[in-house]
Amino acid sequence: MSTTDVVVPATTDELVAALSLATPGTRLLAGGTDLVNDIRRPGRQPDRLIDLSHVVGLSYVRLDGDTLRVGATTTFTELQRDPLVHEHAFCLERASSQVGSAQIRNVATIGGNIANASPCADGATALVALSADVTTLDGSGRRATRPLRDILLGSGRTALAHDEAIIEFSFAALGDEHRSAFAKIGWRTAVSVARLSMALVVRFDPVAEALSEVRIGLGAVGETAFRDATLEGLLEGRAADEESARVLAEGCADAVRRSIPGRYSLPYKERAAVGLAYDAWNALRICPPCEPAWG
Amino acid sequence: MSDDLRYVGKSYPVHDVAQKVTGELVYGSDLNFPGMLHAKLLLSPIAHGMVRRIDSSRAEALPGVIRVFSHLNSPADTYCRARIYPGQECAIDETLFSEHVRFVGDRVAAVVATSQAIAEAAVALIDVDYEELPALLTTEQALECSDVRIHPDGNLLYEHHIESGARVDSAGAVFVSSTTDTPRVHHAALEPHMCVAQGHSTGGLTVWTTSQGAFGVRTVIAELLGLEYHRVRVIKAPMGGSFGGKTEFILEPVTAFLAHATRRTVKLLFDREECIRATMVRPATETTIRTACAADGRLLDFEAATTLDSGGYAASTPDYADHMCKKVTKLYRLPHYDHRCQVVYTNTPVAGAARGWGAPEMIAAVEIHLDKVAKRLRVDPVDLRLKNLVQPFDIDPVTDMSLGDARVAECLERGAAAFDWTARRARATGKGRYRRGVGVACGAHKNGMFGHFPEASNMSLKMNEDGTFELSASLHEVGCGIVTTMKIIVAEVLGVHPDLIAAGEADTSTTPFDYGTFGSRVTYVVGACAQVTATKLKSAILTAAADILQAPVDDLVAREGVVYAAGDETRSLAFRDIARFSDMKHLPSIQASVTYYATSNPGSYSVQFAEVEVDCATGLTAVTDFLAVGDVGRAINRGMVKGQFQGAVQMGIGYALYEHVDVDEAGRSGVDGFKNYHIVNAPDMPDIDVLLVEHEGDDGPFGAKSVGEIAMVPTAAAVVNAVNNALGTELSNLPLTPDRIIAALAADEDGEA
Amino acid sequence: MELVLKVNGTVWEISARPTARLIDVLRDQMGLTGTKEGCGEGECGACTVIVDGKAVNSCVMLAVQALGKEVLTVEGLDASGELDTLQQKFVEHGAVQCGFCTPGMLMSAKALLMANPLPSDQDIRTALAGNLCRCTGYKNIVAAVRAASGQETAAMEVPAEKEELLADLSVPGLAAPPPDLDAGAGPVPRPVPGPAPLPPSHEGGE
Repeated sequence: MSTTDVVVPATTDELVAALSLATPGTRLLAGGTDLVNDIRRPGRQPDRLIDLSHVVGLSYVRLDGDTLRVGATTTFTELQRDPLVHEHAFCLERASSQVGSAQIRNVATIGGNIANASPCADGATALVALSADVTTLDGSGRRATRPLRDILLGSGRTALAHDEAIIEFSFAALGDEHRSAFAKIGWRTAVSVARLSMALVVRFDPVAEALSEVRIGLGAVGETAFRDATLEGLLEGRAADEESARVLAEGCADAVRRSIPGRYSLPYKERAAVGLAYDAWNALRICPPCEPAWG
Repeated sequence: MSDDLRYVGKSYPVHDVAQKVTGELVYGSDLNFPGMLHAKLLLSPIAHGMVRRIDSSRAEALPGVIRVFSHLNSPADTYCRARIYPGQECAIDETLFSEHVRFVGDRVAAVVATSQAIAEAAVALIDVDYEELPALLTTEQALECSDVRIHPDGNLLYEHHIESGARVDSAGAVFVSSTTDTPRVHHAALEPHMCVAQGHSTGGLTVWTTSQGAFGVRTVIAELLGLEYHRVRVIKAPMGGSFGGKTEFILEPVTAFLAHATRRTVKLLFDREECIRATMVRPATETTIRTACAADGRLLDFEAATTLDSGGYAASTPDYADHMCKKVTKLYRLPHYDHRCQVVYTNTPVAGAARGWGAPEMIAAVEIHLDKVAKRLRVDPVDLRLKNLVQPFDIDPVTDMSLGDARVAECLERGAAAFDWTARRARATGKGRYRRGVGVACGAHKNGMFGHFPEASNMSLKMNEDGTFELSASLHEVGCGIVTTMKIIVAEVLGVHPDLIAAGEADTSTTPFDYGTFGSRVTYVVGACAQVTATKLKSAILTAAADILQAPVDDLVAREGVVYAAGDETRSLAFRDIARFSDMKHLPSIQASVTYYATSNPGSYSVQFAEVEVDCATGLTAVTDFLAVGDVGRAINRGMVKGQFQGAVQMGIGYALYEHVDVDEAGRSGVDGFKNYHIVNAPDMPDIDVLLVEHEGDDGPFGAKSVGEIAMVPTAAAVVNAVNNALGTELSNLPLTPDRIIAALAADEDGEA
Repeated sequence: MELVLKVNGTVWEISARPTARLIDVLRDQMGLTGTKEGCGEGECGACTVIVDGKAVNSCVMLAVQALGKEVLTVEGLDASGELDTLQQKFVEHGAVQCGFCTPGMLMSAKALLMANPLPSDQDIRTALAGNLCRCTGYKNIVAAVRAASGQETAAMEVPAEKEELLADLSVPGLAAPPPDLDAGAGPVPRPVPGPAPLPPSHEGGE
């Protein structure tokens, strides 16, 4: 019986050293809430695990000028409670609060969530809407920063090399002029994988009462979370009113239809997309709560 | 209702609560013995086929593997996993390992190894060639494709027809028809299935199992392995829940065989995926009901046809189907009742015992149907039911037995008042995104097996030298507090605190015969046995006291552990002293043994009310309020009775809205764990109220009736009826998942457009 | 792999496979079988323990991740021999039926109360969202946690104290009261769990 060996670096230097010895049979362990169970499946045992959870300096939330920087091994509980995330990335706070259960959130990391590349990853939906960049560190000590959309390739697939670890996410910090929200439709109200998720980031001018710089991330309806330019265009420049909520909802249903044509769950998801959009819109709190109307 | 009881009717924690909150209690799955080996099963990945070749050489070569077993080196005898006594009529269609595999999850082989990890690795090294056969995945397919035989005698396993009364004149009646589908469900007891068996060098066996019936385990194992019963000792281990999923003997025969063949101690512990695929599921059923109802709301004619999916093996499904045909006349007065049922093999997970034994399935169909009738007649659902419910001491025309003090109508009336039914029903459901509705359902079940099965229990009770007591009974604690119940009953009779009574669980070598915990027999029959046994012991105590005190026994009374001569309280003896003096005076040891025969089988009833709010955008349904009313006769352990309702409602809501074990076109379930099999969690569980109706009108101990199963019987129907009220739909395809609700709403809206 | 872990205040030096899960090490090597495996995929919460003050699913955490951290299991709650308040309230409020979910529930609740001493019912349900129970319907569990936080609700009606009644049993002058009895498992001898023997060395080395 073969066994996996586990390496436990304590510093980023030790991490680089461990990565320099990585092979395609090496996997990186952050929180473990997906990985620990996965490696017990037949044929899924890696040769080596690099345990990132003890590396000092990979778990943080920092405001660096106008940029918010989040360390890769920051847990969802930490993100949910962090005052900087609350102030400058509210959609990420809301997404973090809805990942699994308290036990999962206490251990699961934002880096692990992205690297696992589930199409339903809640963290990915929020980060995509925040236009996040990903900084990685590889076995030669090189750091590289790329847009998140270039890292997420498909279901369970990333552009990460086998000796490359995510170490940081960064994005323009949202200010007082922004509003953001996250909504998710699962199989039940808590502790559920997302069947649909949406992160909304807008610049809201209360005087003109108009929305601009609209960014909308959609999750669980494609191979990865993605920003839908058509949907964003529908909302751009619109007022913060009920009609805009309706436009968003219809547009969201349309985006779902474009994204999963012929999928068995399409009749459900195109309708639930309306609920998703209204939930996200109402969470922006830029106008009184709206409801979809049906005959 | 009598108020002079000291212990009965109060609330107690379960007897081993201290060990449970400290983590000290050793459950079956925690058992560990020196030199113990671990077994892992190879389960069929295909739904139907023949095993043509098994090559276990690579597995056997792995260090730490003791042996690999399959149909090639094990008994080929068939057995029935539901047989509880020898000579019982059962469908005998299962073998330890299958050469003819009949569902995804069927047992093909077993590895016995020195560790769980080695056993798992070895299973992956067994090479099996299958010849695939066409898989029949629905009952319709199985009945149609009669040339593909899942079992030699064909795919129709069983048919039954019950008729009572006669057709009456239904001129001017309203005819309503409905079809209800109930799903395969995973019991989802938190502790996975397990068995540990110790094979003695002399050929005997000791088996530890989390079973609901140790003697049945012994019967099946002894017969299968050709051992005398006294050489097979079966011990009931503490269990983390069952809900019927551990009633039948799934792991025990194969584990016993492995231990017997290797002459070692072997543990077989399933993981969650194996529990879902390869143990038991609640049967999927389809019931079509057609009624004729007079304009004044009286049911005239009730015709039903039920098809039950047995899965790959029979287990207990013929009996289960029989019982589905016996529910309706326990609940409603029907001039004519005609029910046909059929049980069909399919190449899907094995179906069998589940909480309620067919009542949740049948009552779901009945209660959904009655709401449809009420809608047609434009009468209130509560009023319609009140017109038709059975009354106390009605005779059930199907069983010809009295339903006993059947208080279901009272439950409905009191419940409707407590729930403010009329006002809530009158409220508009709304046409927006969130729509509210309320629903009601009545349910019936039984109390034990008297009337269709020999129903008795055996117990002994003795007093220790210090005035404490030992109850020897084959109790099977499944987590619902039955050991505590027996202690309370005995305590009440003897007049001492329940903590002074020790009561253990079943051990076929040392405790007297009892069938086990199922069939809603424990409080009603086993509890009555405890009451009679304690009464007999009390009499023995008084007799001994009479001898010691030299007083006529009729002059003596016992109170709080002391015997007094009536009228002269200075002449007294504590129980402890009676025990000691009895020994000194060579009086017979103070004990009592009783065989108690049940003489009745009343109905047990519950009426439940649900309020729901449906999100018409997402199809998610929240249960916002819930009331369960129980006709329980008498609550022995009040807190536990309420706790049973609270837990049962959790299960029933899941049955209505979330839970189903589906199969894909290859016969494989997409459900393999709690990530995709959703049971109601704390955030989604409403705060439910429980109202107990206690009339002590039957033969149970202190008038008690059984609770654990009836508590779940009407739950799903109440929720479904509430959803249909909220949406104006007539959904009857459980569970009402978000997808089904959205599909129904979209269809309705299209229809209106 | 050699690991040094601190569990319930005790330092353990153990030898385990590198990919041993925390639950495996707790149950199989330390004999702490109070932590239960209900699903093996971090969904049911029966395996919940507390690591550095936070509730975690020990079935999806490798033992190596707990290096340098303090692990608290259900066996560590009643360190003084007396039941912790939470345990006591679970007893008093009928929050235990089959008991298999109980250790996990206690640890999630303990972690909650350590961080939030006065939780609302919503907070309690959220903290317990990852702990499944099939027996109790959660109502009594939530009530017990609320009571443990001092936000009292009516406990179950509990009958007269056993000590009082034991005293009643003895007629003065004749004999001493009977010893305090364990009202537990009854006459059947039960095997005592011990640490399982380590797998033989050929199973796979470091």
